[in-house]
Amino acid sequence: MSHDAAVITGVGAVTAAGCGIARLAEVLATSQVIRTEVDRSAGYHRAGSARTAVTARHVDTSEWLSPLAGRRMSVGSRYAVSAARMAVESAAVEPDTLSRASITTGTAYGAAEVTEKLLRQILLDGPEAASPALFTESVANAPAAQVAILMGVKGPNVTITQRQASPLLALAEGAAMVTTGRAPVGLVGAVDELNPLLHSVLDRFGALVRPDQDGCEVARPFDAHRRGLLAGDGAAFLVLEDGTAARRRGAEILCRVVTCGRGFDPDAPRAGWGRDPSALAETLSRHLHAAGITAEQIDLIVASGCGSPSADRIEALVLKSVFKDHPLPPLLAPKSVTGDHGGGFLAASVLAACGSPFGATPGFDEPDPELGVVPHQGGELPAPRLTLITSFAAGGSVAWAVLERPEE
Amino acid sequence: MEKNELRGQLKTLIIESLNLQGMTPDMIADETPLFGEGMGLDSVDALELAVAIEKKFGIRIADEAAAREAFASIASLSAFVEHRLGQEQARSE
Amino acid sequence: MTDRPRVVVTGIGAVSAWGWTSGDLQRGLRTGQSAISELTLFDSSAQRTHLAAQVPPPPDTRPDSIAASRHLSRADRFAVAAASEAFAQADLSPSMNPVGVFFGGSTGGMWECEEYVARLLGVRAGRPGIAWLASQQINCPGDAVARQLRLTGPTLTISSACASGTLAVGAALDAIRRGEIDVAIAGGSDALCVLTYSGFNALRSVDPEPCRPFRADRVGLSLGEGAGVLVLETLRSAQSRGAKPLAELLGWGASCDAHHMTAPHPEGEGAARAIAAALSDAELQPDEIGFVNAHGTGTPLNDISECKALHRVFGPRASGIPITANKASVGHQLGCSGAVEAVATVLALVQREVQPTAGSGEVDGEIDLDVVLEHPRSIPPGSIGVSVSFAFGGACAAVIVADWTIGARS
Repeated sequence: MSHDAAVITGVGAVTAAGCGIARLAEVLATSQVIRTEVDRSAGYHRAGSARTAVTARHVDTSEWLSPLAGRRMSVGSRYAVSAARMAVESAAVEPDTLSRASITTGTAYGAAEVTEKLLRQILLDGPEAASPALFTESVANAPAAQVAILMGVKGPNVTITQRQASPLLALAEGAAMVTTGRAPVGLVGAVDELNPLLHSVLDRFGALVRPDQDGCEVARPFDAHRRGLLAGDGAAFLVLEDGTAARRRGAEILCRVVTCGRGFDPDAPRAGWGRDPSALAETLSRHLHAAGITAEQIDLIVASGCGSPSADRIEALVLKSVFKDHPLPPLLAPKSVTGDHGGGFLAASVLAACGSPFGATPGFDEPDPELGVVPHQGGELPAPRLTLITSFAAGGSVAWAVLERPEE
Repeated sequence: MEKNELRGQLKTLIIESLNLQGMTPDMIADETPLFGEGMGLDSVDALELAVAIEKKFGIRIADEAAAREAFASIASLSAFVEHRLGQEQARSE
Repeated sequence: MTDRPRVVVTGIGAVSAWGWTSGDLQRGLRTGQSAISELTLFDSSAQRTHLAAQVPPPPDTRPDSIAASRHLSRADRFAVAAASEAFAQADLSPSMNPVGVFFGGSTGGMWECEEYVARLLGVRAGRPGIAWLASQQINCPGDAVARQLRLTGPTLTISSACASGTLAVGAALDAIRRGEIDVAIAGGSDALCVLTYSGFNALRSVDPEPCRPFRADRVGLSLGEGAGVLVLETLRSAQSRGAKPLAELLGWGASCDAHHMTAPHPEGEGAARAIAAALSDAELQPDEIGFVNAHGTGTPLNDISECKALHRVFGPRASGIPITANKASVGHQLGCSGAVEAVATVLALVQREVQPTAGSGEVDGEIDLDVVLEHPRSIPPGSIGVSVSFAFGGACAAVIVADWTIGARS
């Protein structure tokens, strides 16, 4: 039995901008970076370290999840359940179909805050002080499990932990669940929770952008003077379903998942990115070719560009290599607004593919001559038909997707 | 400790350790079943409560069966804690 | 679905408390003994229990191999050892690229991370050097395999608690069937750590003695660690290069109980659906299953709900299908348990015998299953087995593996 391509019929998000995809669209259109000071009172952070993150911690999700229902949940689980409910409501998925849906989520760092709390209990007060409830939330699949329990979703339940590639890997697996008939609907999510310890560790590894002499912390994707990324958290959920079934029930189709591709760079160091783009470029070119897509047909790129010197470099070189004879189409770097990790990138990618407006890329001033990539400078973007989304994980895993806007 | 004071402390302990947001002690009747029908707490809550009781009162609940009986309601929990605290006191005298 | 390529297993590798190879695993499982003994990796005196199925020191203690692996976490080392064994057995090389790596795990380098946090909190002397954290992430073992073997295909780690390894095998199988790749490494790795040990004890799920799956007096699980890896390949690829299949993967299925974060559905509802989905994917009838590699943790709740699930799927015949619980021997290896059990299932098919469930004591009268005890049980050529895994959070997964004898399945 063959199935039609998967289409996206609903999106939900909990980001620093608030609850819902409309709030995120607003901040992307106005290039508003909502940063919050990270609590330093535990003493994990060194002097001069990064101070802020694009976190959804302050967002009130009680409209989507009552505090009582979420009482034992981690922050990540609360984000995920809220975003999933939003997505399912916006897609108007029927209860019977929802009960057979699959859930595939991606998380870069899993239950970071819960893990810290548990370790503190165990190391400072002994194993007997370990909280049973916290332990149940310490598994990376806790958000996916909570979505399943609260929403009665009983299909396959898979959580992927592959750093920055997690959202698009979850999309690939979720789309496959639908196209192979394992589930009538796939809920695809990306979720992360940020806590001071994780923030301080990312800073210790030199990943985060640190304040300059004026105290500014700005991620500068593809910029000549980029010095690190902004951490973020939150969650996004997509509803995927079979295209034919979606049309039959009159669902609004946001876009179609044309193809997903994945690969690995064995030269990447454990927590970093490789230097030589040729193997990855060859992999991406081969995938596009196999999907019957030529470089000229790509109208828009949503890049993973986050401000990391080496991550942005390899991504830029891979893209330049794949597009070799053609100028790059307009390129967006939404992590300049959403921060890295959480659901912002996944949600922003879908918004971009649907023609949502984007403002100028915050933090970008001067192109890096080695890369020659200039992310969107503001102004109107041509409505895309095909959007290429790319993600490059620390450690070498890569994932991409091509989304297609339906014809009017 | 006076009985009502202990029951009040236990109600506060339950609300805090189980993160029962929006609840106040006066919302928990002394005889309401804590688990299953009633307040609807589950096995993980029971374990969590045992850890909280150990931390606050120094009482270890080693026996699962004793725990189930003790945790039936605030009244039974209060009697259990009172009894164990009395034993501790007798031992130290 | 009948135009999908056939997928076979051409190499296996495993690390467990029995040792650093799949041969050690098989020898250990056959004996019907338990490898669960005193935990020595860290001080367990303040813990409720003190046992684990801990991996022994590696046999290879040459200075150059120690140096090469000094930056790897224990979970990384288990993964690389198991993957290298499987890769070599399958006679693979990077020329076969793109080869995918689909891994399952739950803790990654958490034990090493605990060293960092202990120093950071001042509980242990020494500087909190970030080198302790370099392999902390759950994806690090799978990445270490891809890096070590120079692989360039899809590389991802699934972390859905105790179902991770089985889900990874399933994801690899589907990727090959879709034509994304011809060859994949599928498996998982997990290592003991204080967090997990304390956590399961906080839930009072751990048996103070070696666990006794399906026995009347079972009280809980035993923790273990290790890695399991299978090389999956299209039959055509294997035949074209003269690689000998060990077994064939016929299908897999997954579901979610959507019931409770730690307790399984009391009637085994989600588990039954996962097994049924696997049968449907494999285009098999329940009658065709010849043995079961159980999840069998030894907790009072799991084993009875697993029994009910099997009866739901197989009907009255469930009482007579040989079933084994590897966790009685090698403990609960968490995220990689499904991968190690898949390896054990392949071994059962190759050796034509289901390994016994370690331990002693009567089987629970409520558990109406044919638990293989004391000695291996012979199975005929052409047998088909199902390996099942059920996780925290209710994720359930099952994979069906068949005997490979030329002409056994046409």
